[in-house]
Amino acid sequence: MRRSVLALGASIVMIAGACTSGSTPAPSTGGTTSAAPGGSAEASGASAAPSADLSAITGTAKLSGWQSSDAENKALQDTVTAFQAAYPNVKVDYKVITGDYPTVMATNFASKNVPDLFYVDASFGQPWADQGFLEPLDDYFTKYGFDTSAFFPGYLAPFKGSDGKTYGLPKDGNTIGMAYNTAEVQTAPTSLADLVTAATALKGKDGLKAPICLNPGLDRGLAFIYAQGGSIVSDDGKTNQVDTPQTKAAVQWYLDLFKNGIGMTASDMGDDWCGTSLGKKHAAIAFEGGWLDPAMSSTYPNVKYAWGQIPTGSSGSPVTISYTAAYSIGADSKDKDQAWVLLQFLAGKDGMTKWTAGGVALPSRTDVPTPTGKDVLVAQAQFAKPGSGFMKGYGDVQKAFQDAFTKEIQDKTYNADSVIAATKTAVDAALAS
Amino acid sequence: MTIASARDRRVSTGIGQRSEALAAYAFIAIPMLLFLVLNIGSILYALFISVFQWNIRSGAGAFIGIANYQNVFKDPIFIRAIQNSVYYAIVWVPLTMAVGLFLAVLVNQKLRGRTFFRAAFYFPAIASSAAVTVLWIFLAQPDGLFNGIRGALGLNPIFQLFGFAPNQNWIGDSHTALNSVILLNAWTTSGTFMLFYLASLQTIPGEVYEAAAIDGAGSWQMFWRITFPLLKPGHYFVATVAVIGALQLFDQARIAGGTTGDPANALMSVVLYLYNLAFFKFDFDRAAAVGLILFAIILTLTLIQRRLFGSAPSW
Repeated sequence: MRRSVLALGASIVMIAGACTSGSTPAPSTGGTTSAAPGGSAEASGASAAPSADLSAITGTAKLSGWQSSDAENKALQDTVTAFQAAYPNVKVDYKVITGDYPTVMATNFASKNVPDLFYVDASFGQPWADQGFLEPLDDYFTKYGFDTSAFFPGYLAPFKGSDGKTYGLPKDGNTIGMAYNTAEVQTAPTSLADLVTAATALKGKDGLKAPICLNPGLDRGLAFIYAQGGSIVSDDGKTNQVDTPQTKAAVQWYLDLFKNGIGMTASDMGDDWCGTSLGKKHAAIAFEGGWLDPAMSSTYPNVKYAWGQIPTGSSGSPVTISYTAAYSIGADSKDKDQAWVLLQFLAGKDGMTKWTAGGVALPSRTDVPTPTGKDVLVAQAQFAKPGSGFMKGYGDVQKAFQDAFTKEIQDKTYNADSVIAATKTAVDAALAS
Repeated sequence: MTIASARDRRVSTGIGQRSEALAAYAFIAIPMLLFLVLNIGSILYALFISVFQWNIRSGAGAFIGIANYQNVFKDPIFIRAIQNSVYYAIVWVPLTMAVGLFLAVLVNQKLRGRTFFRAAFYFPAIASSAAVTVLWIFLAQPDGLFNGIRGALGLNPIFQLFGFAPNQNWIGDSHTALNSVILLNAWTTSGTFMLFYLASLQTIPGEVYEAAAIDGAGSWQMFWRITFPLLKPGHYFVATVAVIGALQLFDQARIAGGTTGDPANALMSVVLYLYNLAFFKFDFDRAAAVGLILFAIILTLTLIQRRLFGSAPSW
């Protein structure tokens, strides 16, 4: 039995052991290695005079990422086909990573067996860059004359490392907008006061569990904090701004939506997310991104809805938050130059036009045509702030906010003080780290 | 028997014993090597990692001693994870053992169709825990089957006495989430414990019951005076396995509460905390420290159980 106990106990520790099977390689040197200098300009994404010829680079680039639908797979395959036509010297070896993406990538980083080019969610941009997993791209920008000014700033920001270098280019993006059932709400509210008025009028209407479906966290709540002049940290990311009157008022306003029966979480409506609540007509208004559209058209095609901007609050300016993911080159990639050829196409104007034409993503560049029906969500990118990845340790901040906020709702106390206090502590800890 | 033949036999017996021993060592060498490398080696490696600043790409950084262990105990989420895991173990282990023993005694009777019942009770244990958890989430949601049935049976007033609304969100509410997962796992694991107890029950000689029957003992007395005490080795084995399993709660908590143990850390377990540290924060050195702390807790509890239940079963 003693051996059994030891074996079972040891197996627990093996979790830690398995997680930490690292090695001791030399740190990444960064930059590029083998591209032939000199040559012609690249069409996509290039505005400055290039100093190297991409057509001289040959080989294979391994591309990996997650995949959420067949439509997404088709859109990417079409884009890769377009790349192969433009750059026949670089073959693309595309493999989908199934399962828990960060976990799989962690094991790849540990074993130094990384794809050359891969997706990086904005929330992982800074941590992965700081851990040395990603290759800085600034040398490539210089060497090949790649212009990053065409990207919406809010999409590019999460991929700046602590050293100020850029570690990824946003492959697409999404902003949080207001989706409303047009049978219930005829005109989109343009201010938060209008939103409350419209929602109050819908209270108790047959079938509606609540007028608005709300997430009890910063993943949506941050947009309303910004709308009322509040913030989490200062623009330079160095000062805690949770404990300001504006932020506190915004959090209290958000809590009051629940208190007054105007808002309810999807979970409390018995739904997995607010898209389902909108589709099942449990709620008339939801705050989501472009991912809502394919879900609605495939599952709830008879529900008519429209998009509106996030209503303006006391700040007086239109504001929302955005989410994105980037293509990044692995620091341990064996074919970095080939990866760059593929990256500059996929994140360039032509590649992104092809990718977003597939109907599953919105452009992160200003010079790519807006897909049909996505005007509101794309237009919001002009003023959207990052919804993740804008400060170190933001995951802990989000968790602290959501835990405290959820407790206030479930205890029916609806007091912003505890939410502010918990979030402030988490922000202090994140800034100190 | 001559002296010479006796000596020859001793010599040949000695040679036979040595060759038997060699064969035995050869058989256990490979599993023992794997055990030493994969289990003991992992423990030592985790110990090594936990005292350094560790990067999975570049390896060991600065030596930091026990700082990771100190930092872990300063984190309120880790404390909450410990509380959750201990609460889970305290409630789930006796509950599941009791249900498992009840089922084992039931299917140990000479009933018609007992093979079917044995298979039926064990079935949840062989179903995918992910699938069962998702099913449970559907059953326990506000407009799910459970709330529907209690409403149809007119039980809502009773539930309201305990503060549960008719559309109670059992897994989404921080007050009920962990108990919901406890019930789920009691259902899925009691079949396995039933099998363990069934094996133990069948080691109890029938003559003991016959003697008790002659002395006029009833079935209730037989259970408490004969079955329950003679199942002591079984209790020890089941309790040990159960406590270890309870403290390793992960998959159901991960599926029902996400990586952050929602709602409000109600489903944050120690292993989920470890997983988050390693794979979402890349804090592998602190994750290794958590793994070793968990190991120490489990080892301590197992030794206590051994003291309580006496020596290990003979099998």
